[in-house]
Amino acid sequence: MHFRNLIFFFFIFLTSCAEKDNIHQYKDYIFGTIVDIKIHGETEQKSKKIANLIFDDFQRLHNYLHPWKESLITEMNSTFLKEGEFFVDDDEIIRIIQQNKDLAESSNNYFNPAIGKLIELWGFHSENSNQSIPSSSKIDNFISDLPHMSNLTITNNTITSSNKNFQLDLGGYAKGYALDRAKVILENNNVHNALINIGGNIIAIGNRGKRNWIVGIQHPRKPSAVASINLLPGWSIGTSGDYQRYFMINKNRYSHLIDPNSGYPANNSQSVTILIPPSANSGVLSDVYSKPLFIAPKEIKIELAKKLLINFYMIILNDGQIMISDSMNESINWVDLKNEEIITVH
Amino acid sequence: MKKLLLFTKFIRLGDIFFIVLFTGLIIFIINRSWNMPVGQYLKIESNSKVTKVFSLNQTSNKKIFGLLGDSEINITEGKARFSKSPCTKKYCVHQGWINKVNQTIVCLPNQILISITDGNESYDSVNY
Amino acid sequence: MKAMTLSIIKITSDDHTVAKLAAIAIALSVIEFFLPSPIPGVKPGIANIIVLFTLYKFNFKTAAWVSLIRVFVSSVLIGTLMSPTFFLSLFGAISSLFLLFIFQKLPKKYFSIISLSIIAAFGHIAGQFFIARIWIIQHDSIFNLLPVFLISALIFGLLSAFITHTLLKY
Repeated sequence: MHFRNLIFFFFIFLTSCAEKDNIHQYKDYIFGTIVDIKIHGETEQKSKKIANLIFDDFQRLHNYLHPWKESLITEMNSTFLKEGEFFVDDDEIIRIIQQNKDLAESSNNYFNPAIGKLIELWGFHSENSNQSIPSSSKIDNFISDLPHMSNLTITNNTITSSNKNFQLDLGGYAKGYALDRAKVILENNNVHNALINIGGNIIAIGNRGKRNWIVGIQHPRKPSAVASINLLPGWSIGTSGDYQRYFMINKNRYSHLIDPNSGYPANNSQSVTILIPPSANSGVLSDVYSKPLFIAPKEIKIELAKKLLINFYMIILNDGQIMISDSMNESINWVDLKNEEIITVH
Repeated sequence: MKKLLLFTKFIRLGDIFFIVLFTGLIIFIINRSWNMPVGQYLKIESNSKVTKVFSLNQTSNKKIFGLLGDSEINITEGKARFSKSPCTKKYCVHQGWINKVNQTIVCLPNQILISITDGNESYDSVNY
Repeated sequence: MKAMTLSIIKITSDDHTVAKLAAIAIALSVIEFFLPSPIPGVKPGIANIIVLFTLYKFNFKTAAWVSLIRVFVSSVLIGTLMSPTFFLSLFGAISSLFLLFIFQKLPKKYFSIISLSIIAAFGHIAGQFFIARIWIIQHDSIFNLLPVFLISALIFGLLSAFITHTLLKY
């Protein structure tokens, strides 16, 4: 009889140990980067099922929206090259294009997904880093007739472009879009606590048990975190950095974040991190809006952030100085920094 | 010596089982905490929802608010310690410096715990 | 008039002994309080010797009384009644007693007081960590401090067993 008690007690001990850190983690390689899903508070079976649903949708989007591998977008781009009309029979791409038009406009076209051709020119449309500086004549030609999202016209289910140079590159948008879709999948499947990271762009759903999800923010020049932040339920965080994709020539850095106005990689900043509060598009906004803040000249960054209604931002300029909004400064925990380097923006 | 002999007289088979069991448990747990490298980060946990992580590569004093008041924590040259605490016994302060991963000092009365971690344990994910 | 009968509570010599035992246990607890520890309040439990002794000399119920009296009275004396330290002590004592209750019927052919003593010591530590984890520092990092306490539990368990055995002989 006492032996039975013993077994019972032991069993309770074991199961309580197992439930304690109830996190299931899944990784995959999609969108040319690592996708990391952490689900808290669900059984292994359910977590696995939901993670697979999400990965499947991401894979679909990868094939659907890829900027240079065969996709619906590349198909559309070649149609534009031939000055043709592109016919689509599904609403999703129409909604995506419309959303990109709106985002480009509100960011004064500092976010400009129409410059795919320029990005290709700089060699960022391939996986190998055999990049070199394009000829200035090619760049000048391109920016003299700079394509914009406004070049696209959507009539019923037909899309046309008024600029031959127009090539859509959703590299700065797709991950954010995927985050928003993951959010819906989780909701529809009653998963209330998860953390999704697509190539560094993260959204937090719910909490991690008793505490919030904690996210580290990468230092642009060191292999460690510069700061950490408690990512509250529904919030997302996105960073654009010159250390993500770039090449070096003669000690100069050329990153994939091209300034549409100059035709050259923007180099006034090392990284821009933004936090977006919960909303239907928070994923998209966290991905997209870090770009204009990165690219825009130093003097207008703060104004632009206000226009875009971004209250939480941290900009690390090219000399290492940090411009940080008040709200962001209050939320952030500095891991590795001296206080003198920070400029707080009110 | 005589005591040791006395001991061996009444030790039984089942006792050996338990001794081995618990010694094994201890070895297992020690293995996990020993041979730990010098850490990079200090994690400060209290019962507020915010957990703070700091690099050990800095020299600064952090004031952390706990149940009884502020505890002060020094970070310098890759190590950390409690320098001040509002508790009566000050055991936490007397523990001195820690610098290896998993090393931990707790001020139970003030409900503050500091531990050395490497990057992976400190965050659920990294934004880049 | 009805004869008034007085009920007399007879105090036996056994009661004296139990009271004395409780007193010793309390004294040991108070001494232990002043010993330093990596986690203030978490102690190896020297008074376990008395509890074990009472268990063998009398029965489980008496041992339980001695243990619980010890927890309450020593905390009143030290001034920690109702404080976190008190609850650590209480849960340590309760877990220890719980395990003793389960394992006390182990066949004496294979298990001596050594087993019971180590089990009680481990139970004591486990109970304290449990309450520390769910109530005082609600982070898993507190388990980093487990090794030190487990080692002391093993050592004290063996030591207590030996001391108790010696005491029982007299």
